[in-house]
Amino acid sequence: MAEKTPARVTRLLGIVTYLEHHDEATVAQLAAHFDVSESQIRKDVTTLWMSGAPGYLHDDLIDFDADAFDRDIIRLTDSQGVSQVRLSPREAVALIGALTTVAASGIAPDAVSTALDKLVAAVGDGEAVRSVSLGAPDPEIVGTLRAAIAAGVVVDLAYVDANDNLTERTIEPHRLVVIDGITYVECWCRRAQDYRTLRIDRIRTATQGADAVATKPDTSGGFSLVPQFEAVITAARPARWLLDTFPGVSVDDDGTTVTARFGVADARVIAAQLLTIGPHVHTIAPPQLAHEVAAQAHAVLDAQA
Amino acid sequence: MAVDPAERLLNLIIALTHARVRMTRAQIRSSVAGYAPPTPGRSEDEARREDAAFERMFERDKDELRRIGIPLKTVVDPTHGDEIGYKIEASDAAMPSIEFSPAEMAVLALAREYWQGATLGPDAQQGLTKVASTAAAAPRSPLGLGARATSLSDATAVIAEARARRQAVEFDYTSESTGHATRTVEPWHLLIRGGAEYLVGFDRDKQAPRTYRLRRVHGDVRAIGPADSYEIPDPVPSQGSSPPPVKTARVGVRPEAGHVLREQGTAVGTEGDWDLLDVSYRYADYIRDAVLSLGGRARVLAPTDIADRVVEYAQSAREAALASLGESSDG
Repeated sequence: MAEKTPARVTRLLGIVTYLEHHDEATVAQLAAHFDVSESQIRKDVTTLWMSGAPGYLHDDLIDFDADAFDRDIIRLTDSQGVSQVRLSPREAVALIGALTTVAASGIAPDAVSTALDKLVAAVGDGEAVRSVSLGAPDPEIVGTLRAAIAAGVVVDLAYVDANDNLTERTIEPHRLVVIDGITYVECWCRRAQDYRTLRIDRIRTATQGADAVATKPDTSGGFSLVPQFEAVITAARPARWLLDTFPGVSVDDDGTTVTARFGVADARVIAAQLLTIGPHVHTIAPPQLAHEVAAQAHAVLDAQA
Repeated sequence: MAVDPAERLLNLIIALTHARVRMTRAQIRSSVAGYAPPTPGRSEDEARREDAAFERMFERDKDELRRIGIPLKTVVDPTHGDEIGYKIEASDAAMPSIEFSPAEMAVLALAREYWQGATLGPDAQQGLTKVASTAAAAPRSPLGLGARATSLSDATAVIAEARARRQAVEFDYTSESTGHATRTVEPWHLLIRGGAEYLVGFDRDKQAPRTYRLRRVHGDVRAIGPADSYEIPDPVPSQGSSPPPVKTARVGVRPEAGHVLREQGTAVGTEGDWDLLDVSYRYADYIRDAVLSLGGRARVLAPTDIADRVVEYAQSAREAALASLGESSDG
């Protein structure tokens, strides 16, 4: 996709400001700093070079040192008074919002709060977005995981899985991650021989092991549970909030009824969640999932009797 | 050949920054490189077409200036009739120089992953470019730490802009208690909780502060009415956050089950095959859903209204499941 004009102009202004702070930079340095190719940097400098104030005579234009440019060194000689502009309200919400969720998660390194303070002070109106903590995981467990990630070694866990079973497993931890305010460790699970994203608050004990981490982080992103079949649920609209949370869901909403389609990796887990929207559910497909819902509902009624 | 739109926008920024008082549309059109001045001797038809093309282009450029975060001042000069002129005050627009450490730059880059695929995704990227402009270090995601959200609302961007202009917003909203209605709200701030976004603000119809879950908004959020039409109270009243008092529920869980409830509760003995726990809660929904989702390996003993809800939910889920299977729930 072609780059949008605001993104490009923001980088053009950024290059001018960066050069004013640094006197000069190589094309390679600018490319690395702004995370674009070297040919893009040359195009950007060319565009800047042709821009200026009405009149557009030599003294009206943004100017660079031409000899240096031939040697791939960018040296600004006239900025025409332009420079990087302050964060827009949307940009401020995007940066501050993401950082506050990490800060509220309880697994943030110190740099998160110091970066937030600086950002809020610079924006002037940093109160546009806040995050609420859902509770922090055990700092000792977080500390063990973080130390193991830094050292590149395995961790032995006692872990309560999504089916509420207490399990023992050895993981190769790759990364701590905050997903929807909840903290997880992305890892390779040696027991499952697969990538797993484990909730930190379900870890009962964590002990650093000696074995080195042998796997690379999962780059596919997201959860690695493999869907076994597709489910289709129709329900009254008030149930939409839950259906929206199923991974990979597509929801049709006609204003009264919602139809949700999603892949089911574990029918037991999904059926249990569907019980929590019981009064709103109209139909459940396929039969495999409907059977599981009926069986669990039956078990609840028995337990409650 | 058409001028590169980035070059035209840059020329516009420079021209409006240099303008001593202001520039009118006509002045912009005739003097800023990238806009086509009126063709001499054009016919009436051509004039209409050309003028409309200029207006479209200029309106789009104004939108893009706003997306970049450049405040465009409108200046009316009484000696020149009512025609509006434009000006950019460089001092209003400048990015303050912030010294971020490499570690801080790394955590800032988390915003890129967090908003990926959402409306604010490009804004996060643009914000990082701005921060990088004045920093020695580049924003690179830190090793070993990540942040994601699975269902971000498109409304966030509109609300952020409306709030910055102190402009009210209007949207269709469904709440479980009051049903479907159109709300008009003065946005105070956005709130992120558990990956869900909320709007906290003053509801003009209810004449009271309210909190809205953005996922329950249907269709678009629209900014309405003039800018600067309200003030945000300082401090924002902590409404809704006089949370309901803490109560205690007694639940039974099967041995080796209910680990999450066990973690939150206090063991108070056993009864038959059930381990009994006292669990504190503020919202009855929480206990109801926790017990339901253990699929029969937990039960509520007290209070009875939660136990009744659990039964009601399980019964209706069972009926829906059996009806889907073509079976009667009487059997």
